[in-house]
Amino acid sequence: MIVSELIDLIKGKLINKNADLAREVKGGCGADLMSDVLASIQPEAVLLTGLCNPQVVRTAQMADVAAIILVRGKVPPQETIDLAESERIALISSPFGMFELCGRLYQAGLHSLEMPVSDPDCSCEK
Amino acid sequence: MSNSATNQGKNITDQQAENITRVEELSYELKVDQVMTKELITVTPETEMKEALEIFRKNRISGAPVVKNDELVGIVSIEDLIHCLQHNDLDSRVAKYMSTKLLTVRNTDPIIEALKLFVNSHFGRLPVVDENSKLLGIITKGNITRGLLAALQHDYQEEEVRRYRASHLFEDIESDRSSLILRYTIKQGDFTHGGAASSAIKRALLRLGASPQIARRAGIAVYEAEMNLIIHTTHGGIIRVEIEPHQISINVFDDGPGIADIDQALRPGYSTATETVRELGFGAGMGLVNIQRCVDSMRLESIVGKGTSLKLKILLHDQEVVGEGITTSKE
Amino acid sequence: MNLKEIIDNLHLEPVTVPRNFAEITPTCGYTSDLLSCVMSGAAHQSIWVTLQAHINIVAVATLLDLSAIIITEDAKPDEATIAKANEEGINIFLSKEPTFTVVGKLWEMGLRCQ
Repeated sequence: MIVSELIDLIKGKLINKNADLAREVKGGCGADLMSDVLASIQPEAVLLTGLCNPQVVRTAQMADVAAIILVRGKVPPQETIDLAESERIALISSPFGMFELCGRLYQAGLHSLEMPVSDPDCSCEK
Repeated sequence: MSNSATNQGKNITDQQAENITRVEELSYELKVDQVMTKELITVTPETEMKEALEIFRKNRISGAPVVKNDELVGIVSIEDLIHCLQHNDLDSRVAKYMSTKLLTVRNTDPIIEALKLFVNSHFGRLPVVDENSKLLGIITKGNITRGLLAALQHDYQEEEVRRYRASHLFEDIESDRSSLILRYTIKQGDFTHGGAASSAIKRALLRLGASPQIARRAGIAVYEAEMNLIIHTTHGGIIRVEIEPHQISINVFDDGPGIADIDQALRPGYSTATETVRELGFGAGMGLVNIQRCVDSMRLESIVGKGTSLKLKILLHDQEVVGEGITTSKE
Repeated sequence: MNLKEIIDNLHLEPVTVPRNFAEITPTCGYTSDLLSCVMSGAAHQSIWVTLQAHINIVAVATLLDLSAIIITEDAKPDEATIAKANEEGINIFLSKEPTFTVVGKLWEMGLRCQ
């Protein structure tokens, strides 16, 4: 599914104008600990999070995240919006909570894009 | 609505999708006066229709704004002329045939406004006016297409040139060993700007032609290290990245407080972070573990009271070489 | 649905003292890794899904009287955390799968956030 379809699905509101809505979303990842996201998320996932600080966008940028969903209608501070704007990552606010969002997206066929931390790629013991 | 989005997503390539969104963006970025025709051929209400016909013919235009004392009062088109010809009335004045129901756009509007008017009306051209209704120019669909194409071309060339220059950085430099050094000073506690340095490093690597995987690995490793400087140090620290054709070396150092037990610090889940830091999404005790996973070698040294030094290396194999380096073949 | 069905369906591994899980019926589900959000958002008797394995999760679960905590992504709580959970009567289960999938499956089983 692409970002614009994702927005429809979660009754989301796009917060930043400068975003790539045609980008393909290949799966989901829900977490509030950014290090965990960085450890496990694969490229092109949608990140669901309850955090609103600019680090969410930075993390998304580092980890090649396709879109960010802020749960429970959260409104992020301006620095977060500005950063999403300049990095062209869709920042979406959804009225649903994290539990509901994981459930709905899972149901819609989006599967987890988190890999087990002991992946062979980076060949490093946990 | 969502149906058409699905089709779009399936039938177009990523490259096309990128261009489409860029065009959409540009239609908000470009302003009407950047693409409009400024050399205007105008008539007055008193101009005779046969003169208008002559003006149209001579200039190969199919319409002209009607201006009285600098103010736009109407527009006369070829259709109006045909209408007039049918009545054999070429001696009459423009005022009689011109249309006065005017749709105009402002010079400062984004071109999307003009596009909307074109879609919702049958007009082929729109007069452009300033805030005092003074006529400044004319905009047609052709102007918009040409403007968009020019802007796209410009964008594309700019990024291509940047990438090309960067990816050939090492090619023309003769030395036994060339490298590019990036250095960043990170302030303690500056949570808002955390990640700015990693972001710059990731972008630099991509410009230098590093693969997305390499850029991602380096980006994540540096980001975790950068957040560590912000969260755990006394005065912040320095990130120094040295990029060579065959490897990326990252050194991160600070002047305190130092880590008492390095083995413990490297254990997944171990963290000294406060609950406040955890609520910000960090301090889960995964930072160093993450860094280790992303690099080919890592050395962590620390003296309590003196500071910590973290040395990372990412090796670039043949296909991943950045900057078109030729050092290996010379050796 | 009861905890036993959930454990079987999601292949969860109990790490606290086993009890009669078929008798415990969670009311709803909640997920977040931020303790402050859980404190304000999770309902009484719900199941909390998180990847945090820190001892503070037991305190939160006790405070809210949660029916269970599911720790995801193969994260392992330390002995102090497990001991504290047993002392407070909190059920902790482990899953190898990420939060997204665990919640997706709970949702599929019909569990909702209140």
